Amino acid sequence: MIAGLVRILFFQGLGELVSHFLLTLIPGPVVGLVLLLGWFSVRNGIAQDVDTVATALVQNLGLLFVPAAVGVVMFWPQLRAHAMAVAAALVVSAVLTIAVSALVLKILSKRQAQNET
Amino acid sequence: MKPDLHEIWVYLSGTPLLALFLTLAAYYAGVVIYERADRHPAANPVAIAVVTVAAAISIMGIPYPKYFEGAQFVHFLLGTATVALAVPIYKGLAALRGRIVPLVAALFAGAATSIASAVAVARLLGADASIIGPLFLKSVTAPIGMGVAERIHVSPTLTAVFAVTTGILGAVLARSVLDLVGSKAWWQRGFALGVAAHGIGTSRAFSVSPEAGTYAGLAMGLHGILGALLIPLLYPYLRI
Repeated sequence: MIAGLVRILFFQGLGELVSHFLLTLIPGPVVGLVLLLGWFSVRNGIAQDVDTVATALVQNLGLLFVPAAVGVVMFWPQLRAHAMAVAAALVVSAVLTIAVSALVLKILSKRQAQNET
Repeated sequence: MKPDLHEIWVYLSGTPLLALFLTLAAYYAGVVIYERADRHPAANPVAIAVVTVAAAISIMGIPYPKYFEGAQFVHFLLGTATVALAVPIYKGLAALRGRIVPLVAALFAGAATSIASAVAVARLLGADASIIGPLFLKSVTAPIGMGVAERIHVSPTLTAVFAVTTGILGAVLARSVLDLVGSKAWWQRGFALGVAAHGIGTSRAFSVSPEAGTYAGLAMGLHGILGALLIPLLYPYLRI
């Protein structure tokens, strides 16, 4: 398990370095994610210990953004002033995003199926 | 000599222990409630934990920066967990085979719709820039979205709150919306939900069908990477 954690932290560190010196707009952990994906494809698989640690982290992902999200207490006045705008934006956008993605998939996969037959 | 309660309190609230305990206990309570509620998306454990911790620190009179100082150990792992997302993404990539064109097209269309519709509605109803900025990131999975938020100088807190709310909304509304547009195949339904509602949508999709869940997870991962690459480039031109 420690071996897996060491590897993941190594890629996180590598990502931070690349992000700091080369790709300043992309967050370090995302660069680390992409580098780790590259490493998996080079190795053509995922080492067991990396899999174990990553699965544990990803399964409890929700816990990790609680501390930042609690900061919402500092935004109360602003959120209350714009409650309608925020609520409407979130609901309309969620509905439209699901609908548009599903429609694009439906239309394009139908066309693809027709081309193949 | 017996130390009085006040002294014990001062001692405890000076260490990270209190903030860590509060955070983990509130999240644990959230998970228990979520399980009891048959994993209904509205009983989201993150939302329950955030409301509980926010209420607790307000009652105890702990200022937020002080709480965060203690809870930053949990917060730090967010970056590590983001790197770890490579594992589910790599496993999901096999599902792309033979369907790459419709999936990538749907991803781009969905991502663009998410930003355009949220920003347009918020602007129309008079929201200011501090609210609109985080809306650009609300369909990107929260750990990645929050990292991007720091780069483009919008609030990571509001990004997380909007992302969790979007996840819950997507998970609750998906069935009706997908039926309405006549989406039938599980892989299509799952992918559409993953594009819009990232992690929370993905766990919802898994609870309905493993095939839908796999595609929702793939959508979440790809949307996360796409968002991290493109949103920092486009944001300066779109925010106005």
